[in-house]
Amino acid sequence: MLKLKYNLWFGVYENGKVKVSKNLKESFSKAENPEPLPFSVSEMGTDIFGKKYYEELRRIAIDHAEELVEGELKREDRYVIALVRSLDELNRTINLLDEKLRDLKEIKESAIVRDFEEKILDLKRFRGELEKEIESVMRKIAPNLSEIVGEKIAARLLEKVGSLEKLAELPASTIQVIGAERSLFKALSRIRRGKEAKVPKHGVIFQHPFIKGLPKRKRGKMARFMASKLAIAARIDYFKGELYEKLAEEVRKKYEKLSRNPK
Amino acid sequence: MKNFREILNNVFLDEERKRILTKSPYPPHYGERKIDGYREWIPTRSKLAAVLLKGYRIDLKPNTKMLYLGAASGTTVSHISDILTKGIIYAIEYSAKPFVKFLKLARERKNIIPILADASQPQKYSGIVEKVDFIYQDIAQRNQIEIFRENFRFFAKDKALGLIFVKARSIDSTRDPEEIYKDVINELKRDFEILSYDDLSPYHKDHIFVYVRWRK
Repeated sequence: MLKLKYNLWFGVYENGKVKVSKNLKESFSKAENPEPLPFSVSEMGTDIFGKKYYEELRRIAIDHAEELVEGELKREDRYVIALVRSLDELNRTINLLDEKLRDLKEIKESAIVRDFEEKILDLKRFRGELEKEIESVMRKIAPNLSEIVGEKIAARLLEKVGSLEKLAELPASTIQVIGAERSLFKALSRIRRGKEAKVPKHGVIFQHPFIKGLPKRKRGKMARFMASKLAIAARIDYFKGELYEKLAEEVRKKYEKLSRNPK
Repeated sequence: MKNFREILNNVFLDEERKRILTKSPYPPHYGERKIDGYREWIPTRSKLAAVLLKGYRIDLKPNTKMLYLGAASGTTVSHISDILTKGIIYAIEYSAKPFVKFLKLARERKNIIPILADASQPQKYSGIVEKVDFIYQDIAQRNQIEIFRENFRFFAKDKALGLIFVKARSIDSTRDPEEIYKDVINELKRDFEILSYDDLSPYHKDHIFVYVRWRK
């Protein structure tokens, strides 16, 4: 028997009849179906709402979108930061468990040891999923940062700073050394005491192949350039949220120029 | 205006100044100029404007029903809304931030239904969007063709039209764009008839559009 039940934005269609929802906003948010509908929603809806179908649909859609937007804007950066921290913890745990597993295996390969190994593999699979989720949220809330340095590094910057809002307020020179605070302050205190010091060229962003991949003497230049674009990207992401492909392109060009140029 | 030629419902080509405009009773949406009831349609901001300015004709009628994937802040949708005077646009966008501005547009125009959802999951809005004549996609994701096809499966009328924009670098940043485009066309050919395609230069770099008709 075919199960003929469909969730429509204005109610549920079942056994040839529509049960109109009492709360349209709620039914709108639950209008999910695993497969395409064999009819057009609007035809069925016009039977109920008549000429006012689109007016009604539009009103509910706008109300619903407004609520969602408000909620999402508040939560998403905190969500991604919490995910990044969970990922760190998970990595630590996996390493630790791997070590214990190795110890166990050397002593005896029992059923429980194999079980243990299976559980660790499960965790590793889950780690992959967690990383994917971080990437997808970052694309959404920070498309420009993600395009320039990749979702992972962008998420790490966000985690270090605490929120997209704060990141958008930082000058490029600070973004350049996020994650290298210790060596920065060490250098600064040496300078204060009148001694020679090495100021760090890069922090978190060093992980990016465009910096790591260059010879040492060019890394500072690249890091400075990248940080200046990241500062702009963070502001666009925070205030506008739309992707400007030019930024990432400029960074790539700079890298290509630096990696070609022998000086 | 005398020297404007109408190339589509409410879309006018100003041959002298090489620009297109849509006739619109509404105020500017993204900083475009408004001249005597016409809004200038800027090809570097809107890919559809680039397609039209390059001389390609896309079949949009006043009563076309459209599903638009990747509405962003509504630059292009605002002009399509001027064209589809008796039609309807279901506009899907995943990101909340640009949607704030989009909602301003949706409140102003009667023919836009805004939906904040992930275009790769059409089942999530399957009880909202009706069967449509046209599916437009501008989302720059690696699996965007699969997403395009899934949305056709869910929402396209027989022989529905589609317009998809592909950015080579968002599919694979290491391969030659020309090769990627070839693959894209071949992949689309499985389910679609290809009506036209071209790059968007000089208005947009590294992009192509493909205009198709669903085989079913």
